[in-house]
Amino acid sequence: MADEFPFEISPMFEGERVRKDGMYVELAGPKSKGFELVKSVEMDEIEDGKFTLIGPDLSTMEEGSRHPIAMIYRIAGELVEQDLEAIVERRNHDFQNYIQGVMHLNQRYDIWIRISKDAMKKGLNSFEQIAKATMMLFKNELPFIEKIEATYITDLAEVEKELDGAIATYQARDERTRDLHDEDVDVFYGCTLCQSFAPTNVCVVTPDRISLCGAINWFDGRAAAKVDPEGPQFAIEKGEIIDAVGGEYSGVNDLAKSLSNGEYDRIKIHSFFEFPHTSCGCFEVVGFYIPEVDGIGWVDRDFTGTAPNGLPFSTMAGQTGGGKQIVGFLGIGINYFRSPKFIEVDGGWNRVVWMPKHLKDKVLADIPEGIVDKVATEEDASDLESLKAFLIEKKHPILERWVEEEEDEAIEETATAAPTIMQMPAQTMMAGAPMAMPAGFGAGGSGVKIILKNAKVSIDRIIIKKIE
Amino acid sequence: MTRVIAITGKGGTGKTAIAALLIRYLTKGNKVVLAIDADPDTNLPETLGCEAETGIGDMREFMLNERDNLPPDINKETIFESKIYEVLIEMPGYDLLVMGRPEGSGCYCYANNLLRGIMDRLVKNYDVVIIDTAAGLEHFSRKIIRDVDDLIVVTDGSRRGLRTGERIRELVGELEANVKNIYVIANKVTDANKDTISETARELKLELIGAVEVDEMIQERDLVGTPLFDLPDDSVAVREIENIAKKLKL
Repeated sequence: MADEFPFEISPMFEGERVRKDGMYVELAGPKSKGFELVKSVEMDEIEDGKFTLIGPDLSTMEEGSRHPIAMIYRIAGELVEQDLEAIVERRNHDFQNYIQGVMHLNQRYDIWIRISKDAMKKGLNSFEQIAKATMMLFKNELPFIEKIEATYITDLAEVEKELDGAIATYQARDERTRDLHDEDVDVFYGCTLCQSFAPTNVCVVTPDRISLCGAINWFDGRAAAKVDPEGPQFAIEKGEIIDAVGGEYSGVNDLAKSLSNGEYDRIKIHSFFEFPHTSCGCFEVVGFYIPEVDGIGWVDRDFTGTAPNGLPFSTMAGQTGGGKQIVGFLGIGINYFRSPKFIEVDGGWNRVVWMPKHLKDKVLADIPEGIVDKVATEEDASDLESLKAFLIEKKHPILERWVEEEEDEAIEETATAAPTIMQMPAQTMMAGAPMAMPAGFGAGGSGVKIILKNAKVSIDRIIIKKIE
Repeated sequence: MTRVIAITGKGGTGKTAIAALLIRYLTKGNKVVLAIDADPDTNLPETLGCEAETGIGDMREFMLNERDNLPPDINKETIFESKIYEVLIEMPGYDLLVMGRPEGSGCYCYANNLLRGIMDRLVKNYDVVIIDTAAGLEHFSRKIIRDVDDLIVVTDGSRRGLRTGERIRELVGELEANVKNIYVIANKVTDANKDTISETARELKLELIGAVEVDEMIQERDLVGTPLFDLPDDSVAVREIENIAKKLKL
């Protein structure tokens, strides 16, 4: 198949490094310019297999020299569409690395290519050979490409001329990917990298929820699972939607059950209070419920002071971590603040009452306009009293909950029909928390958790009160 | 197959000098070497005669700091790989990689997981990898470098130095690090302590594969701070390293 080329083509050459000692030319890279781009076009716009070079060819390049390079591929086919451009483009990296003596690094306008002296000795002397081999691989490996045409540019002025257009294309693509949401995909990704110290933790990564450590987004999960489906990142079929707003899916629940060894069997990805996502210990930010104002505060690793509840990050992190569902605390990655589904079911940003200033500044642009000035920082509130005063002064939407709360309490007092703990209103209970203690019960609000396993208990009513 | 050799020992025993001289020997024999400076407190670049401004640690921080600004669907591994290649210092006969700054307080699980894959691929490009590493073997516990063929503990004449060797052997067991052989090189040896060293090594069941005598040429260079890489062939240390390399079948 590859007899026409003076080099071998095989995946075994992936990872082959062309060292400076053995390098004939360097193309693009940190010290030069370049880019790679795949564009989808109509069938009649291109001629299959055609190669055009603008600028000097390999044979005229001096040994040890460095040149810019742009590689533009135009593809066409019945199934070829604009959304495929990025996926196809990424394969240029793989395919060029299959070529013995060619090292291809990075992507987009950061590409960095080296061609070895050995390859030149064996008869490589033109970019046409590399382009033809790459195009052949594109068509073999991605059969939906019916026609492909390549243009390589090695002339600096010409590369620069095309670069702006390429950057605009990348930006347009990024806009589209940022617009991807949970409902647009059938598969989420799980990550168990942290199970070494939190054995029951399963991180669920969705388009609208980044991993707790902030490092793995849905696309990273997809890339890793594709390379090694048995690795620490793997696909989770969404299955049936149980709660669209809270983010509960049958596929996630099934997996939660098996990977946590039955520790828990339900996860609501976007819920703070009900079957919340577990937290490993790697989270960038921990959210904490403040019962006194019925709001949620967030504190990150870099904040060294104490939050209005009197606790520093480290103490709350200790309570949150370990791969358990802890109602009242939630670990998240910073990017989750930017998600449109950010604790949506609990009121989203309207439920947020406090965060350290540097953290607030980091996500400032993503906080809804109406609420941005109403979220307190350590400069506005250092304890519960000053927090309350701030929220009242700024007319934080949380005040509406306080009114509801008072009404609810009035109802509750008159109710005689056995309300179980599960039915208690949110402000006294952190709704739905099985057997969690009412907030503020006991000293310092550090909380107590009672887990009843396999218990068959019938209770008409439980009343838990602070001893007067 | 790439041979991976890690050189460790407590501070001041001269492990960096031994590492540099081994690299010198190997490149003279036309072996392509990857030198890794994995001790935050060491100075392998200076000892070899090259300059390192930045290292893997900085690139790892870059990946951590930039992750939310990168295009969402970009392949982070290829970016990280390219960044590692950027900090790789290319010298005639060998490349040098500095690990540099240690981890901060955040979560490095994912970054290190990517790094493991990148290092696995990179290492395969060389005949020999020489790692100059701190006695705590941090990078082995993180499994950034997964498999080590030979772990060489450099010790001075003191009993304490040899004890370090014993502790490192225990540590390797505890870390479940994949290390095939553990050897000891005694450095800065004098006629007075030569016999005691081999006796202590025997006592501790450590395999002593060489004893480098005090080398005046090294002492002079250490004083001025000039590299050891171009020591003459007849230096005492250079000759003993040659013997050791042969014993290691390098």
